[in-house]
Amino acid sequence: MTVKMEASAGKMPHNTLMAYGLIVAVVGTYLTYLNVLTGVAIFSFFGGIAAVAALWWGSDTIKHLCSYGLGTGVPSAGMIAFGSGAIAMIVGTKFGMASPIVTLILAAILGAVIGYTANNIINMNIPVMVMSLMELAVVGALTMLGFASMATGSFQFKDLIVGSMSLSVSSAGTAAGGAQQFLVTAIPQYGNSLIGGAALAVIFFLGALALQHPFNACLGPNESQDRTLMLALSCGFLSMIAVAVISFVFVGLLAGVVNLLISLIAWFYCYKTYIDLSKRDAYAWLDSKPIIEVGGDE
Amino acid sequence: MSALGGKAAGGDGINLTGTIVGIVIILVSIGITAVLGASLIVPLIGIIIGGALIAFGVHFVPVGGAPAAMGQAPGIATGVAMLAAGAGLAGLFGGAWAYETTGDFLISIIGGAVGGGLMMAITCLMVNATYVFAMGIPAASGKVAKDPITGDTFPEYKSQGTEGHGLPFISFVGGVIGGLIAGLGGTIIYIELLNAYSTGLATMMEAQATAIQPLAISLAGIFAIGFFLVNAVLAAYNITGTIEGPHDPKFKRVPRAIIGCAVASAFCGLISLMLVMNIGM
Repeated sequence: MTVKMEASAGKMPHNTLMAYGLIVAVVGTYLTYLNVLTGVAIFSFFGGIAAVAALWWGSDTIKHLCSYGLGTGVPSAGMIAFGSGAIAMIVGTKFGMASPIVTLILAAILGAVIGYTANNIINMNIPVMVMSLMELAVVGALTMLGFASMATGSFQFKDLIVGSMSLSVSSAGTAAGGAQQFLVTAIPQYGNSLIGGAALAVIFFLGALALQHPFNACLGPNESQDRTLMLALSCGFLSMIAVAVISFVFVGLLAGVVNLLISLIAWFYCYKTYIDLSKRDAYAWLDSKPIIEVGGDE
Repeated sequence: MSALGGKAAGGDGINLTGTIVGIVIILVSIGITAVLGASLIVPLIGIIIGGALIAFGVHFVPVGGAPAAMGQAPGIATGVAMLAAGAGLAGLFGGAWAYETTGDFLISIIGGAVGGGLMMAITCLMVNATYVFAMGIPAASGKVAKDPITGDTFPEYKSQGTEGHGLPFISFVGGVIGGLIAGLGGTIIYIELLNAYSTGLATMMEAQATAIQPLAISLAGIFAIGFFLVNAVLAAYNITGTIEGPHDPKFKRVPRAIIGCAVASAFCGLISLMLVMNIGM
């Protein structure tokens, strides 16, 4: 596509934005490891902050990609980001403490291959295609990893797949003296975990909706970067509220309440700021009022 | 931004360099799989075939996009990602249910195909009902003068300044065929992944196969959704968002989408199968 539709010039350069998003996303995911170090689960919310930072960065990437006419609409970019991100993220969590870094690398490679496919085999010929799909795959993977670590308090595969332990008691025969001995083993239950219960699929679409909406809603000649990014934050925290509700099952009441409160307050602040920015950018703003019921005689 | 209505960037031809690199990527993916876990080659090939089928199926589905919603272009008034996700997930549910009930590969993939086709048939029917009875527009294609199946003529019914509107019979048939093929592809991916994970995870976790089953089903399901969306969006990029069905000239571009989706599926498949390979943990 030769026509480049120029979205807002953008106050913050994209690379700076990407650096902030990437660093906050990775560091935030690692900060959930404080749960293990301290033994309490209240640090889970850092995962949500990480995911929102990734979404914030991803919204700007989508703006760059979709300002070239793809013809498929903005939501498709969010879908391919999370389709490839989900694959990288689940496999990336297998690598223990290195999970966030490995997820990042796997997603970048996967995004690069998909970007090359789109650009050179399907002949899209868009200059930013490979870089954008690479970034989007990383955004999708880090968002899912962040939300998953917020919901469960951990970013490691073994914690994401085991929901609870059940005890299995079997007789180990009669010991000397006639006392009955039992062999007690703990059997992990997979069905009620984040992945086994498919709560990860909910996180998948919560993230995809939050990623695809901001630019789709704000695009047009009057688009301005701070408003789009504020909507991205608002959508991110809205998804975080839903993840906070999921997290009650896995991290307990106290950490769940912390997650919920932080996401509610942050969402309220971002939404309010977004409305203020919309009023700033609008030509005129009319507050609609309820239609006044007029009496019979009037 | 589809509002610009630009032409496809690269025309209808196949990019030779890109295609050769793509085939190399497929071979490398199969090679790495063969080295790291020889038993996973069959699932990987199943995934590649499934991805190619999804790409092929998407080209049949009459996607109209935003112009169709305004009655200015034929097709279903939404984007490929949404339509493919709908048909694909309906197919996956059908196939997964059939596999759990019967355990038979052939019946399951047919079940998945019927699920996807049924979803598209219902969508097309209701879309046409909405067009005809709610929006008051007749079905007319802008790309061909005559319906290849029924022989109905279109130019008399086509409004000036539009590319056609509504959902002609050939588009309806295309939609159902597309749903069948895409549902088939998605179900093949799901079943291959499920088999790989059921045995692979049980060995890796040293757990019983029955205990690991819910985990394997969830993982295969989430991965299958991911594969489906990647392939559907790549196919959508190939048709630049809109197509009328099998009679549309854009349908000629289908070979490069099949190659592209096979490449993307091969590499995504390699990464997804790394979950049960002997690395990490």
